[in-house]
Amino acid sequence: MERLHFEYHMEIFYTVPVSQCYFTIKCIPKEDARQHLLSMDISVLPETAFSYGEDSYCNRQIFGHVKETHDKFLYHITGDVEILQTDYEEEAKEERIGMYRFPFGKCLPGRKLLAYYNTLDFSECKSEYDKCIRLMHRLHQDFRYVPNATQIETTAEEAWNMGKGVCQDYAHIYITLLRYMGIPARYVCGLLTGEGKSHAWAEALCNGRWIGFDPTNDCLISNGHIKLGDGRDASECAINRGLIWGGGTQMQEISAAVLQNQ
Amino acid sequence: MKQLELLQHTDNVNELLARYGVKFGIYKDNTFKEQLFPFDSIPRIIENEEFDYLEKGLKQRVIALNLFLKDIYSKKRIVKDGIVPEDFIYVSGGYMAECEGVMPAKGIYSHISGIDLVKGKDGIWYILEDNLRVPSGASYPMIARELCRRSSPETFQAAHLEDNRNYANLLRRAMDYVNMGGHTVILTPGRYNAAYFEHSYLAEKTGAHLVNGSELIVEEEKLFYITADGKRERVGAVYRRISDEYLDPMNFNPDSLIGIPHIFDVFRKGNVALLNAPGNGVADDKGIYYFVPKMIRYYLNEDPILNNAPTYLPFYEADMKYVLENFDNLVLKDVAEAGGYGVAFGSSMTKKQKADFIELLKKEPRRFIAQEVIDFQDLDIMEEGRAVPRKADLRAFVLMADEPLVWKSGLTRFSRNPDSFIVNSSQGGGFKDTWVLSR
Repeated sequence: MERLHFEYHMEIFYTVPVSQCYFTIKCIPKEDARQHLLSMDISVLPETAFSYGEDSYCNRQIFGHVKETHDKFLYHITGDVEILQTDYEEEAKEERIGMYRFPFGKCLPGRKLLAYYNTLDFSECKSEYDKCIRLMHRLHQDFRYVPNATQIETTAEEAWNMGKGVCQDYAHIYITLLRYMGIPARYVCGLLTGEGKSHAWAEALCNGRWIGFDPTNDCLISNGHIKLGDGRDASECAINRGLIWGGGTQMQEISAAVLQNQ
Repeated sequence: MKQLELLQHTDNVNELLARYGVKFGIYKDNTFKEQLFPFDSIPRIIENEEFDYLEKGLKQRVIALNLFLKDIYSKKRIVKDGIVPEDFIYVSGGYMAECEGVMPAKGIYSHISGIDLVKGKDGIWYILEDNLRVPSGASYPMIARELCRRSSPETFQAAHLEDNRNYANLLRRAMDYVNMGGHTVILTPGRYNAAYFEHSYLAEKTGAHLVNGSELIVEEEKLFYITADGKRERVGAVYRRISDEYLDPMNFNPDSLIGIPHIFDVFRKGNVALLNAPGNGVADDKGIYYFVPKMIRYYLNEDPILNNAPTYLPFYEADMKYVLENFDNLVLKDVAEAGGYGVAFGSSMTKKQKADFIELLKKEPRRFIAQEVIDFQDLDIMEEGRAVPRKADLRAFVLMADEPLVWKSGLTRFSRNPDSFIVNSSQGGGFKDTWVLSR
């Protein structure tokens, strides 16, 4: 068992004042077999009443409406999480598997990704788990981690074409290929010790259980991973979504921290 | 029928319809054109007994479709039990993962269903398709009846027919049944929508407020209507005439300017009813159509009362074989298209078109269905003073309140082109009133 303290801070600056905005923030650690949220505090500025809810993936969210003019929007979430078991293994609900079996959104296999797939050899793999591990090693080897190489909107196929990207791209390519191989897979957004921003990885269905794989770091998820949300691709568990009136150009500052606090 | 006194008033009724703004707007080549929806005054007449039969069949079908939607967005028993392959759920453009685990008030998904039927030359009625998202068209026979009664009261004194002006009451019943507390509103995308006439007419007849997105606001997990003097009043039910993707820019298409931010979150919390519920597209998909008779057996343990047109799914090997062998006798439909688009008759393709199509079919078998061409009965329409036969279908309306209600009328659409089977209003067809005899 491990206790983790986490903080997530986001500030958006606008060059032109925003007269009102709607926001949805999905940045609350998910309660599941592996992790348990002990305490949490959320603040939003400009100060606004907000509601709590859950989306259809059971990702926890807050949402609200800022009605006063502002040129900066920020939210800050801090709390403590207990990691109950080291590796992530959750029994899958049968009615929530099919949706992760088919190509979706940014995870559509294109010509180049399929060509790559054809170079892979899984003949030694005895199980789905083996295949997931094998693909993770290969992807880690064949794709380069380059900060800022891609954008939020970049698809798996586009990232693969560039040959480089960030954790979101690793996760997208990974789940696209797993689904193509017939293994249900989902995108996970979360936090990680030693990482100054949010992190992304994937969960794949092996023998009826969801297992967390982190292709960016070529490892199974560890005590240091805090899961915030999941979905069929990054867009479905994006940490924040907003709708603004005005704003001009905007600049974002994000900081995150996960600390072990025994 | 040709002796009906009413027929002398056709031009008069059409003039009045134009004046009331009974128009159909269509987008073609990126421009918006409004066109009149031509009315033909020879009614489609359905005998009392025949309509009883239709009514039973329609209720059964809509009950099963509602159960299917409830099942698909929760336990998915029908998939688990192998009746519907999951390929037809998750790849369907109408499936919305956002609706997983969200239960609409009273478990009703399709409050207003528009079921399209045709009557074959064999005298048998066939279901052509189910419309469970935002089916339109009820207002046209409503207003046509009203104007015809005014033009020719004698005709209606002589005929014993069901009054169809009660549609507004049925709709009101369906809306009130699921209202979560507060006003009932009809949400329109605005006057440039193809069915704007209908939105305003139904609002007037049901007494619901006609609103656009900017008049509704979400506050503290509830939905409010902003009155003309700036007051906020709670809304408990929204008969929304905008499609799922534009409903809520915070949950669906972020570029939507006609939606209401967070309305879906309010719906999810059970604080407002949306008619029809989001996500219904997964049940009126042309691919799912094939499975409706199976659904009826599965959920209700009954034999389907109404027939589907004989349909084949190239997804299944045996059906693919049949389709390739009988290609010229079949009509092929792209499951992703609607409004009479994406429909091709095997017999009217050139050799090259046929070869290309078959190649595509083999590559994407899930994308198409094939159906026997139903030779449906012609109805007479008046053209330059003469009665001429044309293809026509019937859109029946089924409303779901504490019980399913079938409107004793319907929209009869006809093709003005004598060689065409496609009757959709977006393809330039016209309409008739539908008379259900009361005895």
